[in-house]
Amino acid sequence: MANYKIHDNPVRDEWTKKIDGLKTLAQGAAFLVDFRQKHTTPFRKDYSLELDWGWIECKIEEKVAMLKHAELNDQQFLNNNTCGANAQTVADAVVAKMDACTDKYEAEKLHINFRIENKPPIMPVNVFMDTDRILGTKLMELRNTDYYALPLAELRKVRGVTTITLQ
Amino acid sequence: MAISAATKAATDALAVNHAPTSVNAQEVHRWLQSFTWDFEKNRTKYPTKYKMANDTKEQFKLIAKEYARMESVKDERQFGSLQDVLARVDAAKRVHPKWNETMKVVSNFLEVGEYNAIAATGMLWDSATAPEQKNGYLAQTLDEIRHTNQCGYVNYYFAKNGQDPAGHNDARRTRTIGPLWKGMKRVFSDGFISGDAVECSINLQLVGEACFTNPLIVAVTEWAAANGDEITPTVFLSIETDELRHMANGYQTVVSIANDEAASKYLNTDLNNAFWTQQKYFTPVLGMAFEYGSHFKVEPWVKTWNRWVYEDWGGIWIGRLGKYGVESPASLRDAKKDAYWAHHDLFLLAYALWPTGFFRLTLPTAEEAEWFEANYPGWQENYGKIYDEWRARGCEDPNSGFIPLMWFIENNHPIYIDRVSQVPFCPSLCKGASTLRVHEWNGKMHSFSDDWGERMWLSEPERYECQNMFEQYEGRELSEVIAELHGVRSDGKTLIAQPHTSKDGKLWTLDDIKKLNCVFADPLKSIKAGDR
Repeated sequence: MANYKIHDNPVRDEWTKKIDGLKTLAQGAAFLVDFRQKHTTPFRKDYSLELDWGWIECKIEEKVAMLKHAELNDQQFLNNNTCGANAQTVADAVVAKMDACTDKYEAEKLHINFRIENKPPIMPVNVFMDTDRILGTKLMELRNTDYYALPLAELRKVRGVTTITLQ
Repeated sequence: MAISAATKAATDALAVNHAPTSVNAQEVHRWLQSFTWDFEKNRTKYPTKYKMANDTKEQFKLIAKEYARMESVKDERQFGSLQDVLARVDAAKRVHPKWNETMKVVSNFLEVGEYNAIAATGMLWDSATAPEQKNGYLAQTLDEIRHTNQCGYVNYYFAKNGQDPAGHNDARRTRTIGPLWKGMKRVFSDGFISGDAVECSINLQLVGEACFTNPLIVAVTEWAAANGDEITPTVFLSIETDELRHMANGYQTVVSIANDEAASKYLNTDLNNAFWTQQKYFTPVLGMAFEYGSHFKVEPWVKTWNRWVYEDWGGIWIGRLGKYGVESPASLRDAKKDAYWAHHDLFLLAYALWPTGFFRLTLPTAEEAEWFEANYPGWQENYGKIYDEWRARGCEDPNSGFIPLMWFIENNHPIYIDRVSQVPFCPSLCKGASTLRVHEWNGKMHSFSDDWGERMWLSEPERYECQNMFEQYEGRELSEVIAELHGVRSDGKTLIAQPHTSKDGKLWTLDDIKKLNCVFADPLKSIKAGDR
């Protein structure tokens, strides 16, 4: 039960303090990916930040972007992920996996995990955006092929939902 | 006076071959077609399953100069009327008070649609490869900028010249409180700019504009005029003159992909989802705005819907695209069932939740109730008697200590919100086609109201991540939420929203709401607790 204001609230204050404590790029990037895994996307592990995760993620990204600006030179800024890996190499590996993928649920995980691990400022925008387009295109193709093949009851099973009420 | 031989020669030559004083617009348009790019090396920024053909044509063949000339004439007529004639005859004060409230919602929400259409058509410009097709999308981008300003201007005009400006003047910060906002964002925002670029075109141009702008932008002018509003027709009909070009753009989008094998695999699915997305919100909301937001009635919404959505669009317009493999959406039949009762179901909930609005609502009068019963037999038994009970309990009077939301709780009629459309529904009361289905997935509860939407969520759940108002405000007292989100007038205590438009009626304040001690609860948590 939230029972606090939307914009200025104790949850955001608490996370602002945690974000202030991030002092290095490596620390900030790891913190950001960990946050995304736990609190964002439909696969998140924890819904306790349901009302504020978007704002908090944005604030962590701001901090990581500033740390990146302080620690990376221009060459690294355009070509490397925050961990130092070549961004295009990372992107090419994910695209190769997606190219080989024929299952829409696997493709969905590949795409969502790519975003968790690489969404800027982790990966340079110039590499991320194009890779995201390629992955998204393939995912949409897989999802939209034989869209009505399964009846709803079967589709619920495949998605793995637990039906609580069905009128 | 004698002239030099050279000057004479030049004068004689010009007499035979006139120097060009302007360039023919169609010549310029032909010249634009040479602006082709090497698309082996270039690519769009946006994902799409389709490949648009590089030689697609566009019917209007406008160039910027002709476009600007045409639109400036329209703007002169429109703003001239508003600022001169309509201001002199005090037109804004002659609008029926109920309709004045309706325009707070209609113009402000349409502004959002137009704003997102700027982005959508920019995306389509980027995605298309044919110069002529790009030119068509570009003209639309300019239109949408114009329309965004026009919609904003309608609210500004009403606020400046009309009656009860609260809501017209600050809708941009108060519109998010209530349940209508997020559904509107779903159709006007997400539908237009998220996902496949061609699917966005289908949402915006093939469904939003070709199907629903007739009811939205044309029918609204009839209802407006009948209720004393000459401002809305002046602006909205000027907007509508551009919409034909947008419908043509949607047609050309389909033509551009007709020979792509992807079209045979995906197009009808995308069209079906786009139609269901748009109609799920517009069918009930437009019907509610027209019939419950007016005093003087025009034509029953179900007839308007049947003519423009079912016959003109689903039959004739989509029929013309049949040669490209396009079929009428399978969901059209289900939508038709909803077009009869869905807007009545929605008004019941909208009135129950009136304190969360940025406009005033009014219960149907006895005369209006007769009109409803005559046009929707069974209305009095299903809805009218509930309104009679609410009125008898003094729902319009702040001294009564009663808002209709309390009636829903007392009578165990929980209100749910559909995860996909974000449209609220009450399964135990609704006469429309909505049925409740609740699923738990990865530790989260989701409610749905129909098969089509449920399938859309099961197919791509990340697209519908959005907290509804019961999740967002859970545990919070109603007056606190209204105060935080600026739902009060300039005195800092009287609500913008009111359950009546009577000049003599008392206005509700934050204190009146606070006394009710209404605390938001998430109905899905009650289901879960009961289930366990």
